[in-house]
Order: sequence, then C-alpha cells, then structure tokens
Amino acid sequence: MPLPLVWLIKVVLIYGGLITVAAAMSLAERKVSAWIQWRVGPNRVGPWGLLQPVADGVKFIFKEELVPEGANQTLFRLAPILSAVPPMLAVAVIPFAGEVSIGGHVTTLSIADLDISTLYVVAIGGLGIYGVILGGWSSNSKYSLLGGLRASAQMVSYELSLLLSILVVVVLSGTLDLRQIVNDQAGPIFAWNIFALPVGPIAFLLFVIATFAETNRHPFDFAECEPELVGGFHTEYSSMKFALFFLGEYCAMTVMACLTTVFFLGGGNIPWWPDAPWLLELTCFLSKMGFFLFLFLWVRWTLPRFRFDQLMALGWKVMLPIAIANVFVTGALLSLGWFA
Amino acid sequence: MVIIKRKELSFIEKLYLPQIFQALSHSFRAMFQPRITRQYPEEPLPTNEVTRGQPRLTLLEDGEHLACVSCGLCEAACPAYAITIDGHETERFIEREPERFEIDMLRCILCGFCEEACPKDAIFMSDELELADFSRAALVYDIDKLKRPREELQGRIDYFYQVNDRWRTPSSTS
Repeated sequence: MPLPLVWLIKVVLIYGGLITVAAAMSLAERKVSAWIQWRVGPNRVGPWGLLQPVADGVKFIFKEELVPEGANQTLFRLAPILSAVPPMLAVAVIPFAGEVSIGGHVTTLSIADLDISTLYVVAIGGLGIYGVILGGWSSNSKYSLLGGLRASAQMVSYELSLLLSILVVVVLSGTLDLRQIVNDQAGPIFAWNIFALPVGPIAFLLFVIATFAETNRHPFDFAECEPELVGGFHTEYSSMKFALFFLGEYCAMTVMACLTTVFFLGGGNIPWWPDAPWLLELTCFLSKMGFFLFLFLWVRWTLPRFRFDQLMALGWKVMLPIAIANVFVTGALLSLGWFA
Repeated sequence: MVIIKRKELSFIEKLYLPQIFQALSHSFRAMFQPRITRQYPEEPLPTNEVTRGQPRLTLLEDGEHLACVSCGLCEAACPAYAITIDGHETERFIEREPERFEIDMLRCILCGFCEEACPKDAIFMSDELELADFSRAALVYDIDKLKRPREELQGRIDYFYQVNDRWRTPSSTS
C-alpha cells in the first residue's frame, strides 16, 4: 500500500471520528441536560433518539439562509468557517495512540507528528476567536456585537492562564512535542502530570477552568448568553451557517478534552502497562476524552452563569497570578531536582 | 436604617470549589433519579369519572337509537353555541328524534352544561380528550361520531347522579 494512501486513511478516520463525536455531542448535550433535570430527552428519532443529529442536520439544510440588511456580506459568510476550521486543524496533531500497522506500514495514530505540536495547537486554537468576533461584528446587530466583544475579551484573558498552565507541562516534560509529552507520562499512574506534586494539580485545575472559558461554555458562555444577548454573536445566523458555529464549538470542546488528556492524564497511557496494544490505548484515550466531554455538559447543567465583571476579575486577578506563580515554582523545583 | 452585617466568608468558602463539587455531585445523583416525564401518546393521562371530556350521546339499550328526543335544551344551555339540532318526527313511542345532531368540537368549551340540561340522560361528558384533525370541518362531529353505548359512559352517569342528587327534587328525577 502506498504511503499517501495510509495518510489518507488516517485523515479520513480521524476527521470522520471528530465530526461523529461533534454530532454525538449535540445529542449528548440534550440527553445529559434531560437526565440532570429528571427528564427523558430526545427519544423519538431512531432507537433512544440516536438519529437525532441526522434529523437536526437535515432540518438545518432545509432552513432559509438569511443575511441581515447592512451586514458585511463577505465577513458574515466567512465567520462560521473561521470558527469551525481551526479546531478541526488542531486535531491533526493529537496523538491518539502509539504505533499502528496499516497495510504494512508502521505508523503512529495521529495525522502529523510535529516537533512543535504544542505551539501549533495553541496557535491554531487561538484563531477560533476570529470567527466569533467577525460573526458578531459583521451581523450589524447590537446583540451580536456585544456578544462578539465579550467573547473576545474573555478568550484573550483566559488564553493567558491556559498557556501558562500548558507551560508548566512543557517545563516538566522538557518538550513541545505532544507525543513526547504523552510518552513522558508512561509507567505508573504517578507519572501523569496531574500527579506532579505540588504544581500538577494546580496547573490541571487552571487548565480545565480556562478550557471552559476558551470554548465559551458554561459557566463562562458570555458569547451567547441567551437572557441578555438573545443569541450573542450568532443571533443573526440561520441554517447551515448557524450549524457551523455549533460544529466549531463542539469540535473545540473535543480538541480541548483531547488536550487535557494529553497534557495531564497521560494520553492513551494505561497505568503500569507501558506496552499496551494500540487498540486498548486508543480506547483508554477516548474514555478519558469522553469523561472531559461529559464534564463540559455536566458543569453546564449545574452551575449558573457568572457576571461579566466577575469573570474578568477571576481571569485577571485570580487565575493569572496563580498561573504565573505556578510556572515560577515549577522552574524553581525543577532546578532543585524535585522531579528527578 | 438597618445595617445588615454580612457573614465573613472563610478562605475555603471564598474558593467556591467545595460548593462547586457539591453542586456537581448533586446534579450527578439527579441523573439516576426516576424520570418525571410522561411519554404522552403511549402513556395517556389517567382519567376517571370526574374527568369532563368531550360530550357524547348515549344510545338506548337496543344499541340503535339515540336516547335524545331533540328537545333542544342542551342547544339552549350551550354557552358556546357549539350544538346544532334538527329534530324530526318518528314512529317510535317518543315521537321525536334528532335528524341532525352536531357538536362543533372547536367551539365546545367542555363546560358540561348540556349534560346538566338534558332531561333524558342522552348527553354525557366522556373521558375522551384528544382532538386533532386536518380540517375544521372534520371537527364538527355528527351523530355517527358522537354516539356511544350507554355502558361506556356508565361510570360518568353514576357519578353524575351522585353529585346532582344534591339539588334534584324528586319530581324532576322521575
């Protein structure tokens, strides 16, 4: 089998998986919300409502595409694409499992193995905010503009804490390569970065909180904030353009769940079993990822939304100082040989 | 003026994290509670004889003729003008029967005045509540759609006699 075909298989598998997970998340969101509120949730389309995402997709396609008067035509059409593409690009470097043999070629189960994949993920992930800002600004609606502005302020402030907590992991592992970071956490469960006392748990907590803010999820969903801003930045969007924003949000959640797994929970590593077969590693990775995806939903249906000034105060006055101090403590402990 | 002293929060309380975890465990336990949703078409609402559903006409014991003598009292009692009756003569002992008896279910407000007005036990409120069709004309029910064997309405009839005995004088019940 030629090598490009192997790549093609990997690309199709991983992107197909990502889109499937995103579609499943739209169902899971409604199911989990229903369960938490003692309801049943969608159960009419297919067994247990499993075909609901398909029905939703068909409905989205048949809805009218509205472009509001006075909207910036080009940017209005570009914004959903800009919001959906970056998380899809970011998934390319996630190391899902170790070495796999496809058609005689031994290859790793990730689309690309970059030496600087951490930088790549962070840089690409930072682009996602453009879709939100441009979508809010180009709609020519005050609610959309407010939503876009809030989202940009929020994402910029929380990106700092996010990067600083990633930096702790990078310092601990001594590499920017996600696969190396995963390999570094092989062995006993205490090799996971979350158990790198005392800085690991703090970095983990900061990272998880920052991912909620980065993906605009509850309790930080100021970009949409239904009671105040109607629908926030996507108020004026309809049909598949609206669906693309949702796809982008769920893809971003999936990528963030993958990154949390890679940075802090040892990726696909099974504790005390470094040479596990790749299928088990993949299952292990996906179940860890699934837990964090569930956490997104779980938190959404538990906590109320913050007030915007409280959100900013939390980001700048609490999380950022802790994150900076955490990086310094990590460096100091590392130079003292604490983690040896 | 009242000065309210706010409770000073301890450091742990200011972190909010314990409360967040408490809330998370609460909502997680809620996922395993029994569901409160009623799956409506499969699990219909429970009804009993007190349920005041759509009015229905009772049939006589022969199962063929209506008990109605088309006196028009229900038509007159109906506050929503939902009932239309055309009577005509019959060879039977009662001498009059309805030729046309229509209830516009879109007008009917399920008040039960027709049932109270009826001197002949001919119209009673059933426990049928579902009302859906593709046209307004189809929701004007005629005799064929309204007639029911007396046994189907027996529970309601018994209940009706029980509550209305309070004001019925002996002469009017005979």
